[in-house]
Amino acid sequence: MSTILAIDTSTSQTSVALVKDGKVLFNKTHNDALAHGEVLPKLVAQALEINRGIDLVAVGMGPGPFTGLRVGIAFAQSFALAADIKWVGVCSLDAMAAVINEGNFIVSTDARRKERYWAEYKDGLRITQPAVASASSLEKLGVKIFSEGDYYPDPVALAEIASTSNSVDQPIYIRKPDAYPLPAGVKFRVMSALDLVVATAIEKEVYGKAAWSSAQFKEEFAKAPKDAYYLAAEAGGELIAYAGIFYVADVADIHTITVIDKYRRKGIGRELLKRLLDWARVKKAEAVMLEMRLGNDAARPLYEQNGFVEISKRENYYGPGLTAVVMRKELK
Amino acid sequence: MALVLGIETSCDETAVGIVNERKLLANVISSSVEQHARFGGVVPEVASRAHLEAMQQVIKQALKDASVTLKDIDAIAVTAGPGLIGALLVGVSSASGLALALDKPLYGVNHLSAHIAVDQLDNDVVMQPTIALLVSGGHSSILQVNNLAKDVIVKGATIDDAAGEAFDKIARIMGLGFPGGPVIDKQAVSGGRDAINFPRGLTQSTDLEKHPYDFSFSGLKTAVSRYLQQTPNYKKSDVAASFQEAVVDVLISKSLSACKESGIDRLVIAGGVAANSRLRELAKQRCELSKVELRIPPIGLCTDNGAMVAAMGSLAISQGVAPSQIGISADSAASIAQVIW
Repeated sequence: MSTILAIDTSTSQTSVALVKDGKVLFNKTHNDALAHGEVLPKLVAQALEINRGIDLVAVGMGPGPFTGLRVGIAFAQSFALAADIKWVGVCSLDAMAAVINEGNFIVSTDARRKERYWAEYKDGLRITQPAVASASSLEKLGVKIFSEGDYYPDPVALAEIASTSNSVDQPIYIRKPDAYPLPAGVKFRVMSALDLVVATAIEKEVYGKAAWSSAQFKEEFAKAPKDAYYLAAEAGGELIAYAGIFYVADVADIHTITVIDKYRRKGIGRELLKRLLDWARVKKAEAVMLEMRLGNDAARPLYEQNGFVEISKRENYYGPGLTAVVMRKELK
Repeated sequence: MALVLGIETSCDETAVGIVNERKLLANVISSSVEQHARFGGVVPEVASRAHLEAMQQVIKQALKDASVTLKDIDAIAVTAGPGLIGALLVGVSSASGLALALDKPLYGVNHLSAHIAVDQLDNDVVMQPTIALLVSGGHSSILQVNNLAKDVIVKGATIDDAAGEAFDKIARIMGLGFPGGPVIDKQAVSGGRDAINFPRGLTQSTDLEKHPYDFSFSGLKTAVSRYLQQTPNYKKSDVAASFQEAVVDVLISKSLSACKESGIDRLVIAGGVAANSRLRELAKQRCELSKVELRIPPIGLCTDNGAMVAAMGSLAISQGVAPSQIGISADSAASIAQVIW
């Protein structure tokens, strides 16, 4: 004799079912991607009116958009704690695949940012780990895809899976949190003329012919300190990155954000950008602008995430045939 | 007799407190602050993940500390706002799960009111009516509290940054680390409070007419930033002490004017910034001079905690306030006018 309360909040749909010895006593869903927090307790309260004696809580552990996903898991864990019963986590994609009658197929749900969470199934079994990918790359796999909208994780199936051994005890996030910690030991300080020997060497390596000379740096530093701000990052006493911004007539212009090859993609550029933006805000700048070379735009997503928008292109800006993309972020 | 369990997850502390009416029984806090230090600020997704990870253990520890079981609990209280929405939802969903499984009432409470309610714990005399100065990372307000559960008047608030935010930003510019409050407090100990004359926002006579109880810290922030740029060999301790003095001076002056104007000679200082040692010291001196009765919660109850949420729930029960409906929404931008959901 066992009554299972099954919950899933891994998609835009909030689903609750009450299953007693295989018999479905309650099965309700509500579709609103922003209301899991309000909807879930209401549905569970309705289910409890039918039967208060719950023996097990089954919950979908994702993958799914994080905030909604956590509503179901936090609720299920605390409910189980208070009722002094066990809770079991289930991969939500499995609860969607369970109701699809097909030999080999992919189940896919919305992962936002134009991507999909997915897993592949064959003869009723999941044959890949849950993962995230672009919709187009999924289609290239040539396997029939069943997507969120036509199907959702089924709470009754979830209750059934919970009584097998396929349990998951951690949320299936797949993606890292949206921030990248800095490598330990990186220090930020104001850049000075003492950095120039190393900085000009880095310039040559990174920018070739467009590299700044020592004299150009000195000219920047000679500007009134209230108008220019140059930052350096060092690791183990070595200069590894620098960035500068110049404020004139209500707009702050980012002159450079340069990170040496070995330290790229570790959040150092992100941190430098953040500090430059903070400085621009203190200056009460109305907007921040920057130029980057077309084709050399690995940092473009970083700027876009920070609210920069392309406003124009300047041809031959960096030399013949080298176009600059001009981006702008409003601060007010 | 009412045992209330309170859950707080509005920012980076996963906290659960248990009170029996006004008696504090347990106050357990798991902080993700170290995970945020490297970013120089709280990262919402990092905080939300940490809340979910810590929640069950923190609840169990609080029950153990209070020597009670969940079956003994009479009501659940939870911070429903303001705060980070993803973080709040972990607390609200956990609280809903507990309340439904236990079939006990749930009180969604305001984080700001809860900061003030914590003063009522283990104190025989309830400060009411009182002027309250609420200062934290997200808020800086002067309130007239006639009845914390029912009648709170906002006399003034910051028009730009919160006091705690100013501490964080200045600490970041000076490279002192995060969170800014404790590191500046520490630096300031050996510095000169009057070494640098930083501006006191909204204290000119024309400003005072229009903004008698409002605060502004953005001008101060600019002044400190300009000073740092123009003084390459600045003394960190002097900048910290002078900056801190400028913040604390205005906070207390305006609170005491509110006491005087309203004829209420009581002041409660609450919120994370109330842990600042100079604020506590100067408030004590000036309140003695002005013959205003002062109360500031113990430092451990000033920063975010679950006991304050339980205290607010307990207060709502004692005032006969109805419990929240099932399925309350977390409100990241809730104003202090919404005390109970």
